[in-house]
Amino acid sequence: MLTRLHGGHVVDPVNGVDEIADLYFEDGRIVAPEGRAADVEHDVSGHVVMAGAIDIHSHIAGGGVNTARLLLPEAHRAHRPRPADTPLSTAGWSTFETGRLYAQMGYTTVIEPAISPHHALHAHLELADIPIIDKGFLTVLGNEDFLLAAFRDRASQESIVDYIGATLEATRAIGVKCVNAGGVDAFKQNIRHFSLDDEVPEYGLSSRQIFQKLQQAVNATKIRHPLHLHMNNLGLPGNVETALATIDASQGLPLHLAHVQFYAYGTEGKNGFSSAAAKFAEKINANKNVTVDVGQVMFSDIVTISSDVMKQFNSLPGGRPKKGVIFDGDSNGLGVVPYSYRVSDFFNAVQWAAGLELFLLCDDPMQVFFTTDHPNGAPFTTYPEVFALLMSADRRAQYCSRLPAEVLELTNLPALKREYTLYEIATMTRAAPRRLYGFEDRGQLGEGAVADIAIYKLQADRAAMFRNAAYVFKDGEFVVREGKVSHYTRGRTLRVRPEYDRQIDSRLDKYYEGLYGLPRALFEVQDAALPASARFSEVPCRH
Amino acid sequence: MSNATLDGKSISSEDAYEQAAKILQEASFPLVAGLGADVAGAQAAILLAERLRGAFDHLASRDSLTDLEVLRSAGVFVTTPNEARVRADLVLLVGPGLQSYWPGIFDRLALDKETIHGGTSKRRVLWIGPKRNEAKLDGVEIETIAATEQDLAGVLGALRARVGGRPAALAPAALKKIDAAAEALRAARFGVAVWAAAGLDPLIVEMLQGMIADLNVTTRFTGVPIGGRSGATGVLQASAWMTGFPPRTGFGRGYPEHDTWRFEASRLVDSGEADAALWISAYDGEAPPWESDDIPLITLGPPGSAPKRGLFIAVGKPGENYDAVEFAQETSSLVLRRAGAPAELPTVAEAIAAISAKFSEDLPC
Ligand SMILES: [Zn+2]
Repeated sequence: MLTRLHGGHVVDPVNGVDEIADLYFEDGRIVAPEGRAADVEHDVSGHVVMAGAIDIHSHIAGGGVNTARLLLPEAHRAHRPRPADTPLSTAGWSTFETGRLYAQMGYTTVIEPAISPHHALHAHLELADIPIIDKGFLTVLGNEDFLLAAFRDRASQESIVDYIGATLEATRAIGVKCVNAGGVDAFKQNIRHFSLDDEVPEYGLSSRQIFQKLQQAVNATKIRHPLHLHMNNLGLPGNVETALATIDASQGLPLHLAHVQFYAYGTEGKNGFSSAAAKFAEKINANKNVTVDVGQVMFSDIVTISSDVMKQFNSLPGGRPKKGVIFDGDSNGLGVVPYSYRVSDFFNAVQWAAGLELFLLCDDPMQVFFTTDHPNGAPFTTYPEVFALLMSADRRAQYCSRLPAEVLELTNLPALKREYTLYEIATMTRAAPRRLYGFEDRGQLGEGAVADIAIYKLQADRAAMFRNAAYVFKDGEFVVREGKVSHYTRGRTLRVRPEYDRQIDSRLDKYYEGLYGLPRALFEVQDAALPASARFSEVPCRH
Repeated sequence: MSNATLDGKSISSEDAYEQAAKILQEASFPLVAGLGADVAGAQAAILLAERLRGAFDHLASRDSLTDLEVLRSAGVFVTTPNEARVRADLVLLVGPGLQSYWPGIFDRLALDKETIHGGTSKRRVLWIGPKRNEAKLDGVEIETIAATEQDLAGVLGALRARVGGRPAALAPAALKKIDAAAEALRAARFGVAVWAAAGLDPLIVEMLQGMIADLNVTTRFTGVPIGGRSGATGVLQASAWMTGFPPRTGFGRGYPEHDTWRFEASRLVDSGEADAALWISAYDGEAPPWESDDIPLITLGPPGSAPKRGLFIAVGKPGENYDAVEFAQETSSLVLRRAGAPAELPTVAEAIAAISAKFSEDLPC
């Protein structure tokens, strides 16, 4: 069945399209009509047509998110009676709601960024339960004894590459994240602060050495997503120096720095806390091997979910409300601490401004990614408001008028008049994520791409425009109409499968047997463990 | 041979599914309880409760909620048994009967072996309030602090006070012992407390976690909870991601509402608020806890566990008769258990699907 969308303004940066044009799709893919008449026509004049948006970093599944649900029953009281004949469409902060709300904003692919390898199955069960959207996750390495011991013992890079390959295979992940390299292990040894050149006791390795070796090895696996790094010293005054030093240490190789707003802090002013976004953005602009996502803060009640358990432990006294979970996991960690960003709070206002500064001062929207580090900076449901802020200096000025006066002296935000265009928004949320994860079939509307299409009614109120997509097609199926899900589908889970020498498997089996007295297979994700509806799709590696 | 009975008499599976569907569909507020099931079974059961606008509860909710109440009010420090195995230089066992709640406990925690990570050392093992003759393990010197179930809270309270340097009203001999224990806890590099909520008053878990938080001011200390029986922790996880809430959640108003009192299974049945019940206890056929025996009842349990009254449909034991995902105490994670003794019995999820297939069309799917 050939479908034609006609009269819409197509914004498709990958193919350089920014004009009124027709779009055809059939059997879930974008096609060229080759003179055939369409079976179905949709008049989308007055609308903007983009590829489905891709979220590169959003905590949507796994043990951490589920712990947050249990920690905060008050945060997700459901409020609407079931509107449609659809299971659990009214649950609060659930897997179901996650798929529904993302789809309604025109998002069709979302990557969960932090799954401990031993909890991969749990994450996949949750992902399989999220309707409509495609998804995937990053597995977290860089604090486990197997790897640290290998680095300490100067194991060959090939063996590290094999280890990463085996871990990606066992966990069915799409890439590798590293959180406070070495710091999570150090915290188990009662170290409370850990910076780039601090060493993990017992291993004699600095955080710098760990991330660099891991970055090299991830690059050598030929998976498309570079090492996704959560740096040291998150949230601390003056931590921009850590971020700048990390970029200096990035070896000219691809490196993704996560939620950089949380590292854009100087020590100026009487509170010893200021925005250092300008300095940071300059560095990012000058280092094209590095990509960043922002992790924008918005003023709302949130919960922080992070594998940086050292940081989370240090955040406990400031929790809003004051409670939290500190989990020392197998060779990993996790902390869940609720928080509330307040416009009247000096520190929170600086954070809010620093994030926007980064967005506005980083020149290339292919290099800077749109995230709130959901739910750490803000819930993903605030995205439309953030888009509106990027697209309107006036809107930012309105916000600024509510900030504590002293904040405005410590940020450059009021002076920044840049306004994102729709083309730049599409670049940041479609084209750039496509390249970052090596997706060949999405993030664009060229022939052969999956027919994941988001259509927004052009409105002056950009927040309203992006909040409720007028129409969304997922794999060519009509799933959202006028901002409401009209049809539920099952998406796929995206994974990578790099080649590696399988001899590592027997070494790992022995390691598990020796350390835990358990078969390693107990931690592997196997088909028999997943629901029949779970479908996977492989993202190709570099050739 | 049919694996279904009605009031103890054999009936065909088809008839059983048909009648089960009729009972559930005719009810105005059905209860899905027991929930002794694997993750897929729990998911099917929760979806069924939602579809019927009923409520669901797990047979060990009391134990899960004991830990959850502490989580919700103050938060917790936790680790995995395997991290404790490789790293814990001090293990504090709390309360009686730990081996009955987790038979593999000593083996998994490797109490008789040295630590591997964070330095090698012999472990110190303390046990507060073990049963008589329980604190014995070959090759391990277990230091015990006697406490009956009644004085466990008091003893733990005194220990917490002494850890924090506060006074405790104890006789000199007892105080000396408590002080020595407090000193040991403070001196631990990576201490791990192990408890089973099933045997404890919520106040004790709260006190224990409070003490762990205090200890973390200067050293590292954390805990390993022993989860509830019949798949309680795995069901809790599935319930959380599906509804945002733990069991004891109802859908009467068309959206999930969680209330530990209102949606407690026995109360719903004995008060007459629930007018039909699906009782699932696939692991061991545990009987329902309520007193009322006139509620229309459907039971899913292993063969041989049929109650005298009501409809019974035999299902396989998860992880034994069929491959199943469940929460593994030994890893603190969801794992796949391969069937060691496959049997021609439906899984919990399959039995629920077979019942649901008999609903008339006017129920939403
Ligand atoms: Zn994150």
